[in-house]
Amino acid sequence: MSEMLANTSKGHIEVRNFSLAYETIEGPVQAVTDTQIHVKPGEFVSIVGPSGCGKSTLLNAVAGFLKPTTGIVTVDGERVNGPSAERGMVFQQYSLFPWKTVRENVEFGLKMRGMPRSQRERAARTLLGLAGLEAFEKHYPEKLSGGMKQRVGIVRALATGPKVLLLDEPFGALDAQTRVIMQQILTNMWQRLKISVLFVTHDIDEAIFLSDRVYCMTARPGSIKAEIPIPLERPRQQSMMMSSEFLALRRGLMSLIREESLKAMGGEINDMGMQGLNIELHGHSLADVI
Amino acid sequence: MSSPALVRHPEDSMPATAIAEAGSAPAATPPAAPPSFGTLALRWYRLNRAGLRAITIGVTSLIAFLLVWHLLTTYRVVFFVRFTNVPSPLAVYASFTKAMHDPKFLMHILLSCRRIFIGFSLAAIIGVPLGLIMGRFKLVHEIIFPVAEVLRPIPAIAWVPMAIMLWPTNEQSIVFITFLGSFFPILVNTLHGMSLVDPVLVRAAQCLGARERSIFREVYFPASLPHIFTGLTVGMGVAWVSLIAAEMISGQYGIGYFTWEAYSLVQYADIALGMIAIGVLGLGSSLLIRGAGQLVMPWRST
Repeated sequence: MSEMLANTSKGHIEVRNFSLAYETIEGPVQAVTDTQIHVKPGEFVSIVGPSGCGKSTLLNAVAGFLKPTTGIVTVDGERVNGPSAERGMVFQQYSLFPWKTVRENVEFGLKMRGMPRSQRERAARTLLGLAGLEAFEKHYPEKLSGGMKQRVGIVRALATGPKVLLLDEPFGALDAQTRVIMQQILTNMWQRLKISVLFVTHDIDEAIFLSDRVYCMTARPGSIKAEIPIPLERPRQQSMMMSSEFLALRRGLMSLIREESLKAMGGEINDMGMQGLNIELHGHSLADVI
Repeated sequence: MSSPALVRHPEDSMPATAIAEAGSAPAATPPAAPPSFGTLALRWYRLNRAGLRAITIGVTSLIAFLLVWHLLTTYRVVFFVRFTNVPSPLAVYASFTKAMHDPKFLMHILLSCRRIFIGFSLAAIIGVPLGLIMGRFKLVHEIIFPVAEVLRPIPAIAWVPMAIMLWPTNEQSIVFITFLGSFFPILVNTLHGMSLVDPVLVRAAQCLGARERSIFREVYFPASLPHIFTGLTVGMGVAWVSLIAAEMISGQYGIGYFTWEAYSLVQYADIALGMIAIGVLGLGSSLLIRGAGQLVMPWRST
């Protein structure tokens, strides 16, 4: 099964001169501007940034749901013109079909491709087995826990053997323990399938733990502020999150994002608040000033 | 020999033997000493207390209702409302037993059911697809919605004179009234269901390679089903309301006509019989729809 799904040399995502604006009554609002990113075949890349920075917009453009205002999105040199089974997507809200059983959900992409029933049933069972969900194949999603739902979501997205996997804050709704387990499962699947992954999250630890590279975005209008390679060796263990190397990366990313978060909030808070935050930013406490 | 796995083994095998025992002798479920009948009865009672309570209270209140009805009619109470000519429950029961052997009464009921079946089915066959298409294609919605909104507030009963002019036979005009009554609730609820379809599910389907037709069949339709069934249930209720009114005004047969005729012929017990028959038929048909809903939407039953 895994050989069938493996894409060793495919899945090169390229986003060039990308910008995206929404039309509003006051004129166009720039959501993302002047952005270039790429994901090499088999690479795991994360995008982090303050909320509202347009990281999900960028991901949705790669998925084909949004058309760039300027610039181009290509996968393996082919221009993205709309959603396709070549680019599997995992959503924060799981988005499993409630009227389909776990197995029928996983089968969906294969059914759309016209695979005969018995064949796709077998394929779905194999995949569910890999995710430890074979016992739940006949359950409806509503009966599953959040972690199980998202495992089904990932398996469903992988079932059609996509070139790339796009994940939009997939573990954002899960509790801390489940989240750690899910990260491990995703890493295992990624390593087995050698698929390119573009992962959007606001969780810095998650981004570092999972990725080969992390893009950090600026506040709206979003653009790439920094590109940070993660040289931690693989396979990664949970204990690595305490290593000095990890913590250094974390500190770096944290300060980058905090700067942007403050910028994003700048318009919303009054001068007093702004002063307080600036003081904190420069390493003094409020008490020092008073 | 002393590895933890081996030590734990006897414990693990316990449930297996318990299951085997239960399989051979279903009466003695727990592996320990079988509980006495009293304990089992007590346990069953504790588990089903809420249900038993509802049944007990429900039956009691029905009996109380019959009793009050009986007392009001036997003493011919006049207190704002006059119970002088209202038939007693026993009189109604007597006319019920008589009616059960009367082929004419059964024919009235069958005819009403047929009208409901045809009118309601037509409303569902036209209303559901139309609602789905209107929900999916903006142009169709923009064209049909204003007309529907103008016609919708007109009660089906108000259509009676027009229906008589439109249709050559009385039977057709009554079916038409029934159709109209159920059509709009079905259409409006289907539309509502379509408007609530989670766009993320549509995106998920698109990402899995689904095209327009498949998305319609695999996402929009099942996602709207709960609201479609709400529409069918409401539509069935309005269908009965409209049917009975139409039968009373222009009918020659049917349970509504039977009830009105009973009044004209001073058969007071038959009035109540007709009313109860209408109530039972309405209840039965809405139960049928609920059952169909549970069959069609297995993911929603708990």
